[in-house]
Amino acid sequence: MSAPVLTEQTVPPTEPQVGATRAAWRDWLRQPSALLSVAVLAVMVLLALFAPLIADEPGGTSADVLQPPSGAHWFGTDDLGQDIFAQVVWGTRTSLVIGVAASLIALVLGTAIGLVSAYVRGVDAVGTVITDVMLALPTLPLMIMLAAVVSPSVVTLTVIIGVFAWPEVARLIRSQGLVVTAMPYIDGARVLGASGWRIVSREILPAVVPLMVVSVLLTASRAVISEAGLSFLGLGDPDSWSWGRILLNAQRSGVVAIAWWQTLFPSLAILFLVLSATVAGMRFNDSRDPRRNGG
Amino acid sequence: MSTSNIRRLGRWRVAVAVGAVAALALSGCGLNEGNDSGESTSGDGSTVLRIGTTTDVSNFNPLQSLSKTDSWILNAMYPHLLRIDENAKKAPELAKDYGYEDDGKTAVFNLRDDFKWTDGQPVTAEDVKFSAEKIMEYKLGNVAAKLTWVESIEATDATTVKFKLSQPYAPFAEGVGFWMSIVPKHVFEKAGDLSKFANDSDWVGAGPFVLDSATKGQRYVMKRNEHYPLAPEGKAALTQVEYRVYPDVNTMMLALRNGDIDLMGNPVPASAAKSFDNDDKIEMTKVGALGFAHLTYNMNNKELAKQEVRQALSMSVDTKAIIASVLQGDAQQMAGPISPIFSEYDNTEIQPYPFDPEGAKAKLSAAGYTDGNGDGFFDGLSFGVACDQSNANITRVVQLFRESAAKAGIKLENECVERNTFLARTKSGEYDIDASQWGVFDNPMDQLRSTYLSSNPGGINYNLLKSDEMDRLINDAAGTTDQAAFVEKIKNIDKVVHEQAYLTPLYVENFQFAHNASKFTGFVASPSDLLGMVTAYSLAQVKPVG
Repeated sequence: MSAPVLTEQTVPPTEPQVGATRAAWRDWLRQPSALLSVAVLAVMVLLALFAPLIADEPGGTSADVLQPPSGAHWFGTDDLGQDIFAQVVWGTRTSLVIGVAASLIALVLGTAIGLVSAYVRGVDAVGTVITDVMLALPTLPLMIMLAAVVSPSVVTLTVIIGVFAWPEVARLIRSQGLVVTAMPYIDGARVLGASGWRIVSREILPAVVPLMVVSVLLTASRAVISEAGLSFLGLGDPDSWSWGRILLNAQRSGVVAIAWWQTLFPSLAILFLVLSATVAGMRFNDSRDPRRNGG
Repeated sequence: MSTSNIRRLGRWRVAVAVGAVAALALSGCGLNEGNDSGESTSGDGSTVLRIGTTTDVSNFNPLQSLSKTDSWILNAMYPHLLRIDENAKKAPELAKDYGYEDDGKTAVFNLRDDFKWTDGQPVTAEDVKFSAEKIMEYKLGNVAAKLTWVESIEATDATTVKFKLSQPYAPFAEGVGFWMSIVPKHVFEKAGDLSKFANDSDWVGAGPFVLDSATKGQRYVMKRNEHYPLAPEGKAALTQVEYRVYPDVNTMMLALRNGDIDLMGNPVPASAAKSFDNDDKIEMTKVGALGFAHLTYNMNNKELAKQEVRQALSMSVDTKAIIASVLQGDAQQMAGPISPIFSEYDNTEIQPYPFDPEGAKAKLSAAGYTDGNGDGFFDGLSFGVACDQSNANITRVVQLFRESAAKAGIKLENECVERNTFLARTKSGEYDIDASQWGVFDNPMDQLRSTYLSSNPGGINYNLLKSDEMDRLINDAAGTTDQAAFVEKIKNIDKVVHEQAYLTPLYVENFQFAHNASKFTGFVASPSDLLGMVTAYSLAQVKPVG
């Protein structure tokens, strides 16, 4: 239902559109749940950026093995005596980098394929079939298989996760793009002699930007879960900390039952990141819904 | 409209799923409490021993290569000529005794006459001869390499079997005696090609227990053999042994505490040994290892082929810190490739390379390596360290090795990967440094032959070493029948390998096994996690408490 309205907002001339967009952003952040989730995301980004200032990179060994949370070790220590807080903070880096980069890959691929499918009929038939096939594939087993074959590193993980996440973006963008393509102003542009490239990039693309913002958030949160899942299965980058790897260490060394802090805190970090990204994305979508905005 | 609703639903599903994960993590800590007493007393004097294992049986044919769970179950069914006792020495099992004739060119085993297959037939020398001949014919498992020198096998009477060898080989009888499973000729000869024989139903065995049913992913039920002469009463006190599959060791430990199983077949990880500290029913048994953890250098790598580089790497591993943290102090450091378990052969004159990153740096500088780009690492000295990521200790070792080698200016990359990928890479030689653990070496001669001979008979020459000198030293020792001279030659090889630093031996760990001592007693633990508490002999001695 929100989809057609979204396009109506994009049809009017430039000024009101900018005004409407600005209002939507304001309206979005005025909601407490949205503001809170954006704040959580901001904190995570800051943690990731300033990780070296907040905690030393986890490494080496110490005598404080498997200590519960205390003033010295806020989140306790693991079986080598390393600080879990430092691991979670450094893990934020990997999780965010992979989340953002993978979702950008998915977004670029998905938007390109979605828009071209929406505008070029011939491509649509092929594109839809490929998208459907990709959506029908069991992605986790495939990701596991691929990650097992290639050498695990942040780059390969990002590519694998990104490549498996684009079809949902493509489908979303295509359905929106189809609606826009049918709009009279696109016919107008065509009559004026605009090239296909110009129509897709200058006329249709701006109309789907809000949808892209929502998909970035949702795809990123899915990518974070995928990364944690793969790392937990031992397919992550062994040289960089990630939340999934902290969980894997706890599971592999058999301390899940005696060191709850080693599983609780990384799980909470995943929970907060995914929840806030999801809520932020949903509220952003809602804020563009005219039923809430009074038309 | 519907799409948007579905998408919204999907998002909630994600949120709920994440919440559930967190709740699970939370409940994990709840399980830790209130479990000290309240033992679920069955009260019926049950004699079913339930053992936890992390993996399924992948192969029921005892003549082929076996995984850990395979050998636990099959070793309780099929007798071996010899076993390894609690002191890591060979002890009689099916063979009463053994010896050599004809200047070491004939090995003779004298068998007991009171072993019986579960279908009532006696176990005879013909069964031993049949088992060995079929292994040689189809080149089955790791025993085939140990039978290389056999020219002919003779069952002179029902209880005597003679192996004629092409040349004397000192540890022949011990190696074959310990490793070879004896199978019933009258059952297996009907199967035809034994390399394709699955042996997955209607089992006939002569060990204390024989498989009765197998449910993949769940349980393996073994019934008692009513004739087992090595059990105190002529048969085991337990009526049934049941293996249950718990893929996750955390779950298995909880199952033991909750009384769902009585013994963990897999050792308790050193880091988790504390789990049972405040649980009176659970008793821990400590045994040594028959293998060791090591870093082995691929000699096909241009840099690793240089002795100085290997020595510098050996000086960049803080083995003492690894033992103190990863193994919680429960391991012994090694110097050369011969484990201290073989105290007679271990060359105690050699000392482990000291942990000395500065010394390593100096050694590399002297060898002509420089740091031209000033990044703190020597140019051209960058290696990948391959390991199996499911091995908790080794992954930790690699993590620490990478950090300490950086101090010596050597850049290492952690290449711990999924187990099957690791095995495939090991097989094809696609690694610079191999970090792994050798499971069981039952004697030093077999170890040296399989790890350093250029013909690579055991398939574990991870150095991919092709050295005429090593070949000559090993073959010379293998043909030595005089014990004192033989020991000297082994000690010399120990020293040569150490000087060459073909590998950096790390530690021999101790394994801890946990069982419910309020229900069962009498286990006879043997060293290594392959044998542990679940050898045929040990299970035959177990009795219920009270």
